[in-house]
Amino acid sequence: MSSDEFDPMIERLFARSPQMADAPLFAAGVEAKLQSSSRVRTVALTVAGLIGGVIAVRESTNVSFTLSDAQAPVAGRAIGQGIQSASLNVQEAVGSGLAQFGLADLSLGSMGGMQLFWLAAGALIALAAAGVMKLSQEV
Amino acid sequence: MAQSLLAKSLKDRHDVELAALAAAGGRREFGELARRHGSAVRGLLRRMGAQPSEADDVAQDAFLQAFEKCAEFRGEGTFAAWVKRIAARLYLKRKARNARYVAELEPEQAEGVAAPDTAGHVDLDEALKSLSEVERLCVSLCHGAGLSHPEIASAMNLPLGTVKSHVKRGLDKLRARLSPDGERSGRAAHVF
Repeated sequence: MSSDEFDPMIERLFARSPQMADAPLFAAGVEAKLQSSSRVRTVALTVAGLIGGVIAVRESTNVSFTLSDAQAPVAGRAIGQGIQSASLNVQEAVGSGLAQFGLADLSLGSMGGMQLFWLAAGALIALAAAGVMKLSQEV
Repeated sequence: MAQSLLAKSLKDRHDVELAALAAAGGRREFGELARRHGSAVRGLLRRMGAQPSEADDVAQDAFLQAFEKCAEFRGEGTFAAWVKRIAARLYLKRKARNARYVAELEPEQAEGVAAPDTAGHVDLDEALKSLSEVERLCVSLCHGAGLSHPEIASAMNLPLGTVKSHVKRGLDKLRARLSPDGERSGRAAHVF
């Protein structure tokens, strides 16, 4: 048999592969893995979102609205007072909520914005480093 | 009822359509693709020399990777060929990681022995066993996964000329084994 005839024959033989008996099982395994990886991703994103949310709420409730009489017109003053009272209400609600989860003594609020920024940046860098490590293992 | 309707509609869809739906996050659609082409991918990996369980692991990883990259599949070739390429590359990486890299093998040392052809039948899987590990890999990558010689050279970190000669030697051995007028086939050989 010449190579002109043989090469297409080999291609055909390679293309022909019998359906394995456990093909549905294999597909189910792939689907299950996809499902679990998407669940892990969802949980990770939810946790990250919750942590970010808690930090953001605590930070925003610590903001002091300093709209003085001389600096703000009457309407602005009213809005300022409204925001301030709403902020106090939110702060109380969040405080009691955190107390229920045993996080009343969470000292994130006492951290400066810069400290929180560096903390978040550190966590992101660690995540990125872990990603690079995983990638380098795969390559 | 709704389940069976969905299953029926999945079965009726073309690979490219399913891949597009999978790219939008459709896991069921991707599951159908895995059902259709899982055996072909696993078969290729076994032909490359992977043990059945290893072939299944790599094939599963390949499908997971394909799901992540599904948006990159444009339907220029077949979906099966696309996943086969991913799987073949993953298998090579795995082999390299396990420090059992074929480049260091002496072809004659690694040469396998095909099972006796008692029934007068010769099939590709059996014939591949008569090739050395590196020849088997090169032939499978070239004719099974559809990689070009330069792509194989790059994936296996071998010189292009070496890859070409491994493919040629492998094909010569397969020809001798598979073709009816081959040197080993004094008896009638039926190719599956």
